[in-house]
Amino acid sequence: MAKLDLLQGTLDLLILKTLALGPQHGWGISQRIQQISENVLRVNQGSLYPALQRLDTAGYIESEWGASENNRQAKFYSLTKKGERQLKEETAQWARMTVAVQRILETEG
Amino acid sequence: MWKRLLALLRHGELDRGLNAEVRFHIEMETEKNLKLGMSPAEARLKALRSFGPMEKHKEETREARGVSWFENLIADLKYGARALFKHPGYALLAVMTLGLGIGANTAIFSVINGVLLKPLPYEHGDRLVVLQQSRPLSGQPQVGVAIAEYFDYRERAKDVFDGLVEYHQMNFDLINRGEPDRVSTGVVSHNFFELLGIKPIIGRTFVQSDDVEGAEAVLILSHTYWRTKFGGDPNIVGQVFEMNDRPHRVIGVLPNVPHYPQENDVYMPVLACPFRAAGERQIAQNRRAFAALNVFGRVKDGASPQQAASAVESICHTFTQDNKQIYRPESSGFRATSVPVREALTSGARELLLILLGITGLILLIACANVANLTLARMLGRDRELAMRAALGAGRGRLVRQLLTESTLLAGVGGIIGVAFAWLTIGMLTTFVGRFTSRTGEIDLDPMVLVFTLSVSVLTGLLFGTFPALGSRVDLVSALKQGGAQTGGGGGRKRVQGALIVAQVAVSVMLLVGAGLLLASFYRLQRVETGYRSDGVLSAQIFGNFSRYPNITELKKLYLPVIERVQGLPGVNAVAITNAVPLGGGAPGTTRFEIEGRVVDDPERRPTTDVRVASPQYFATIGVPVVAGRVFNDLDNEESQRVVVINQSMTRYWDGVDPIGSRIRPIFGGPNAPQDWYTVIGVVGDVRQFGLARDMVAQLYLPLRQSQFGLAGQVLVRTAGDPASFGNVLRTAIHAVDPNQPVENMQTLEDLRSEALAAPRLTATLLGIFAALALLVTLAGIGGVIATSVTQRTKEFGLRMALGARREGVLVMVVRQGLTLVVIGLAIGVAGALAAGRVLSAYLYQTAPRDPLIFAAVAAVFVVAGVIACLIPARRATTVDPLIALRAE
Repeated sequence: MAKLDLLQGTLDLLILKTLALGPQHGWGISQRIQQISENVLRVNQGSLYPALQRLDTAGYIESEWGASENNRQAKFYSLTKKGERQLKEETAQWARMTVAVQRILETEG
Repeated sequence: MWKRLLALLRHGELDRGLNAEVRFHIEMETEKNLKLGMSPAEARLKALRSFGPMEKHKEETREARGVSWFENLIADLKYGARALFKHPGYALLAVMTLGLGIGANTAIFSVINGVLLKPLPYEHGDRLVVLQQSRPLSGQPQVGVAIAEYFDYRERAKDVFDGLVEYHQMNFDLINRGEPDRVSTGVVSHNFFELLGIKPIIGRTFVQSDDVEGAEAVLILSHTYWRTKFGGDPNIVGQVFEMNDRPHRVIGVLPNVPHYPQENDVYMPVLACPFRAAGERQIAQNRRAFAALNVFGRVKDGASPQQAASAVESICHTFTQDNKQIYRPESSGFRATSVPVREALTSGARELLLILLGITGLILLIACANVANLTLARMLGRDRELAMRAALGAGRGRLVRQLLTESTLLAGVGGIIGVAFAWLTIGMLTTFVGRFTSRTGEIDLDPMVLVFTLSVSVLTGLLFGTFPALGSRVDLVSALKQGGAQTGGGGGRKRVQGALIVAQVAVSVMLLVGAGLLLASFYRLQRVETGYRSDGVLSAQIFGNFSRYPNITELKKLYLPVIERVQGLPGVNAVAITNAVPLGGGAPGTTRFEIEGRVVDDPERRPTTDVRVASPQYFATIGVPVVAGRVFNDLDNEESQRVVVINQSMTRYWDGVDPIGSRIRPIFGGPNAPQDWYTVIGVVGDVRQFGLARDMVAQLYLPLRQSQFGLAGQVLVRTAGDPASFGNVLRTAIHAVDPNQPVENMQTLEDLRSEALAAPRLTATLLGIFAALALLVTLAGIGGVIATSVTQRTKEFGLRMALGARREGVLVMVVRQGLTLVVIGLAIGVAGALAAGRVLSAYLYQTAPRDPLIFAAVAAVFVVAGVIACLIPARRATTVDPLIALRAE
């Protein structure tokens, strides 16, 4: 099965969801998205960092330098309160949208 | 917002953080790949590849931070400064060229701003107008306003004006603690300052009760006079000075504002001026008594200057129709109008200033074109660098921005140099412009000028930066593969360079033609036959104080003994007294006269002449040749027959008949004026009395002893030695006659003549310097372009010569390439100069704006200079050994 490129705007949602499970560094986030989606979703690794910066500027996440699993300096991102609310909202929106899209596809089927 | 600002402050730290983060990411990915069993090199390559274009992502991350434009600017500036420091020669040349261009524009603009743009520095400056009367049909473009006329305007124009005020200038002796001081005095209506909106800094201005017969005489001091003569004494108000044999009490001091129409030391109300008061008593008999007033008006809020002008026009129409026998409106065309004061003050300089602004604008364009060319040439060496940056993910927009930042940086530094340049030259320019307008007191490098300079600098940077940036579309592969220098920008860039050279040549040609025309005109003006000998003559003015010398009979008691005493001094060849020195300024008088037997009934159709008063030796003193008959001698006195001497121009009214022995009657104004007939006893040569470029006018000389009018005595002395060193002797001799007589305006006639040449000399010099600059810059540009092109083609030349081409052939080829550009530019420039030459015609003396000699000379200069500019780099190319040239890769 071919890997799917992420839809525009969904990367932010996935990052927030990933971080809801606990603080993680950039590389970790990209790995986790791939693992959980069972390698179906592919994150363009380079475009991850602009997205992280965007979310940081918006105040949804915050970052802190810390030691990684192999004891190296890495930047860990974590969800803020504002981020949690944003995640809830975006998740709900996503659900509404998928239901809507699903309905349209079924009526034609 | 807070976060963004914080990010801005910490951007260096954040950048390091980003780099570390990305490094960590790549390492983790590499480790993962290693665990999958790849070789170390393969693992790292794959990690890098899956990350994608690193610079692009970093850039996007920075941009997501939200302050990137600023950081980009800082980075670009830093990078640009470093790039420029690496090529100090290029940077210096560019900055100096731009500095001169921007500096010239800043200097001219500061003058335009101070003279033409700033509102008058008075509260109601924009609503002030000045009345102008003329007799166009009698050839008199300016006629002073008489007291009676002023009263008419003042009473009848109340619906458009807040008020009308009068002004005239007189010089009086002010006795200041014993020392007589000749002060220029503004004689003004009591509400003059109130109408202009000038408030005194100490004391008060005039009120109505100051301006009535029998009121105490009062004075207001100008700020400058108060500071220089009284050291800014705060207790000046109330002090009393002797003036016109009357005590005058100081009532106030004016603020430090420029005075228009002239600077004055002190001001007094109108009735305190004895001449003006005497004039007013004559109104009933003579409507035109004391026709020497300037009348200013403040237009009512809501009324337009046009309404004011037409009101003045119609009032004038009424009083000329009511007094037809005085004004003869049909034959004189006597009329009046009003114009805004600001316009009237600056009309003489407006055109010249706009021409200068046009010229400096052209200079700046040449500077831009030149720096654009320099930059293009430098781009050849930067192709590799740009390609590298492009390969690392820098977008085209980013590269263009970098180039524009560099050019704006150059222009900015150029702007700073320009301001310094303007600051150094502004004094000279102010003196120069002062010859065309009295409004120079407000010329300054003020914020408005600096804003102008800043805008010009930025625009300049963008303008000359755009050309090279357009050429920045680089072919990545070939640029990276090649050694840089050889890739060139291809044909497109060369075409841009060629076009820039053509433009520079065209503009330089126009400037050089302009300078050539002005120089030719100046040369002719300098050699103009003046009709007198200015060398060896000293002049000085003794203006007899009217309280001691109230009329000509008394004045002669000063003048005749002075002549006698000076004549007896050793080293004096001749001495004379007259009423005005040649080229001393002023306009020709227009006294009407009748020739006996040729009476013209309509007084407005009678011929006019300029009347001079001269003592017997006047013609010998300044070397005016006697053409026929004789000049005055001591026997032409009060008791003898009335005689006159006329100049050659005046003989035309005799229609070829010998005027000597015939009688004429000059018609002087006023009811009590003499109506005598005078016998013409001699004809003398024409003298350029009123300006080197002005046509000769008819002139009439009356002998001093027979003169019935008072005059400001101009003493002229022809000395055996240097006239300038005779000053003290002359002063002592005059003081021996009257120890209290001020001796003023001492200068040689040679000084006066060179003064008369100063304005055209400066105009020609200014344009000459500009044109020379343009020529130099353009030649350097041609040389530079040819040099670059030759360097690029070294291999080709080597090949050609190896194949048997002669050196001369290659030289001709290179020169032809450069000369083609010169000739195209020359053609365009000549066409432009032919079209634009007209604007200079007002400043040219006996020189046609299309003088073929000048055009030919300019063309020759450009062809020769162009060949030389091409030959220097071309020779270098062809002296290279073909073998070395071929191996040069």
